[in-house]
Amino acid sequence: MLKIDHLYFSYNNVKNLLTDINFTLNDGEYISIIGSNGSGKSTLIRLILKLIEPTDGTINNTFKNMAYVPQRFNQLNIHFPITVREVLASYKKVRHNGCQDISEVLNLLNLKEKEQTLIGQLSGGQCQKVFIARALLGNPDLLVLDEPSNGIDVKSRDEIYELLANLNKSKKMSIICVEHNLQAAVKNSTLLYHIKKGHGHMCLPERYAQEYIKNDLGDIKC
Amino acid sequence: MLEYSFMQNAFLISFFIAALCPVIGMFLVLRRYSMMGDTLSHASLAGISIGMLANQNPVLSSFIVVSMFSIIIEWLRKHFRTYAELILVIVLSLSIGIAITLLSSGLVHANIDSLMFGSILTVTKSDFYWVLFFSVISLFLVYRYYAELMFIVFDEEGAVIAGANVKLINYLFAVLVAATISISIRIVGILVISSLIALPIAASLQLEKSFKQTLWYGILFSYIDIFSGIVLSYWLDAAPGGIIAINSVILLLIVLFYKHKIRSNKKRIIQE
Repeated sequence: MLKIDHLYFSYNNVKNLLTDINFTLNDGEYISIIGSNGSGKSTLIRLILKLIEPTDGTINNTFKNMAYVPQRFNQLNIHFPITVREVLASYKKVRHNGCQDISEVLNLLNLKEKEQTLIGQLSGGQCQKVFIARALLGNPDLLVLDEPSNGIDVKSRDEIYELLANLNKSKKMSIICVEHNLQAAVKNSTLLYHIKKGHGHMCLPERYAQEYIKNDLGDIKC
Repeated sequence: MLEYSFMQNAFLISFFIAALCPVIGMFLVLRRYSMMGDTLSHASLAGISIGMLANQNPVLSSFIVVSMFSIIIEWLRKHFRTYAELILVIVLSLSIGIAITLLSSGLVHANIDSLMFGSILTVTKSDFYWVLFFSVISLFLVYRYYAELMFIVFDEEGAVIAGANVKLINYLFAVLVAATISISIRIVGILVISSLIALPIAASLQLEKSFKQTLWYGILFSYIDIFSGIVLSYWLDAAPGGIIAINSVILLLIVLFYKHKIRSNKKRIIQE
């Protein structure tokens, strides 16, 4: 379980980027964090991953094994000389134990034939799948993703969402996903967390969809 | 040529630094820190000057001072994330300031030419033992933390989340860079150390191979650069540093030409 209580965050104590954030993610739930650009979605994820410290408030995390799929794969140096297998093997070595077999994960994501391909020679969708494969290698109980469908083709996007839904339903894997794809968020998530101007509201996906249509992309309060 | 003991020492030392420089250089180049070699080589001049002042072995005193500056660079990296190259300028200024002050004040008398351009005549057996000591330890540590170093260079944040002790490994790597610089300047000299660290890797990166293969090609190119440089410097009676630097650039140009040729051939086959 992940419980966030009265969480505040500001850079250099100047202005609150996140204000009084509260939510609970129970085991096996799939929460999508939505909101406009600069609303603080990625900052919230960085706080959950303990990459930055909150200004105030608490994050109680009982998940033992977190894994992260970054958004910035498309900002990577495409000339970096590393193959798909090397990306996964280095992760496995760092994690020491409890990891799956690399070939198994590659088969799951249909990447087996790309095993020896350089990361820079993959398409955006394939590259994203490599990062998901890396995250799944360690058998996580909480998977955190930052805009997994950003900048990738429709086919890969559908495959990724199908895989996430499958992991959540069949393996009961808990998922937190920063999302700009509202359709996917409403379809797959157990709950939605909408952040606007640093304030967050939890809502049910169906309710959000209704309000979204009613308000014509406008102010949504769930 | 090999009957001279100074040539034997030069070849023995070169055998180790030719392997170590590209190994360390690979991680520096991919971190966009190619110029760190240049900065720390100037810090080593300060280290050698301090060592001479204190009557200590120059390789050891250089290692201590360069390690200190290397750790300062790593520490400052967090404070100058946007202008990372500024850190190198700051450290370069301080270290060269110390070195010039000591050397120009007459407190220390050193053969500046051999330090600047490298020398095979002044290499001693004691230097070789220090090179052997630092090389074996450094290569072992890179082998031991190879996966972690590769992961950190590729995705530092990802490595933190995966549980790697990124801070410790980064500081350890800073010391390994210091060791590499300290033992290499005897042969290649302060002014051209960067060529030995960056250019073999610049050439091997052109081949677009895996991380491991890029590293092995870098080592191979480094051996070609250094050994041909030492042989030529003996025949031409010139400083090895300069010849090694020229060889590195020639080899890089050959690789670039080869790459261009292969690409042109591929294009022609596709068109046909």
